[in-house]
Amino acid sequence: MTPAHFAFSSAFMLGLAGLAFHRTHFISALLCLEGLMLSLFIALSLWTELFNLTHNSASMPMILLAFSACEAGTGLALLVATTRTHSTNRLKNLNLLQC
Amino acid sequence: MSYMMYVLLFGLVLGLVAVASNPSPYFAALGLVVVSGVGCGVLVSSGGCFLSLILFLIYLGGMLVVFAYSAAMAAEPYPEGWGSWPALRLMVGYVLGVGVAWVFLGEGWYEEDWGGFDGLVGVSVLRGDMVGVSVMYSSGGWLLVAGGWVLLLTLFVVLELTRGLARGALRAV
Repeated sequence: MTPAHFAFSSAFMLGLAGLAFHRTHFISALLCLEGLMLSLFIALSLWTELFNLTHNSASMPMILLAFSACEAGTGLALLVATTRTHSTNRLKNLNLLQC
Repeated sequence: MSYMMYVLLFGLVLGLVAVASNPSPYFAALGLVVVSGVGCGVLVSSGGCFLSLILFLIYLGGMLVVFAYSAAMAAEPYPEGWGSWPALRLMVGYVLGVGVAWVFLGEGWYEEDWGGFDGLVGVSVLRGDMVGVSVMYSSGGWLLVAGGWVLLLTLFVVLELTRGLARGALRAV
């Protein structure tokens, strides 16, 4: 595994761990999701640059960025809706389905 | 040059450690800004300067600005940074995890593995990745139409999610 490959693989794993082990705020989980998308963008761009003879796959990270922007917008809309109904974005307040 | 790539890759991993340790969202957004800046440096060192500019403009200048002012919804009187004990514990744990993975996977990393690589001999106006992205307009035309349609659809999704005057998906009153 080359150093760059190890770097963005561990960056992806770290973002995934931050998303799984979120603590108090909803927006911290959304920021870890953005970190995931960023590591994927860097991964796709580095693979295009280093491993391809032609650069035809340079449109892959662009499309990823467009769809990641859609996902970030939807996540922030959910954050706004949560803050409007529950008056905070702390995850302990999302307790409608308490057992 | 390989030292700069070394520093940039370290900055990438350490920045995401700072984001994943879940401090107050102000600090997490700052960590994400640092990670995207360092990621741009990594891309430039490997020859992808157009994609690096796209990352700066769209990701940093578009998406992270929106996240920065949305973090105002998470305002608290005493935001905890990376010095507070829960975030510090998570940071140390993540750094140890990355170190253990480095020990197991980092065999045979020599001096030349760290260096950047630029495939084009000499400097020209048309860089490789810029020419590659323009394929999106010629052969990948239908993917461009699909992407534009998805973006328009997301606009309506966001408007519908945040409306909630008398009805709406997430209105409790």
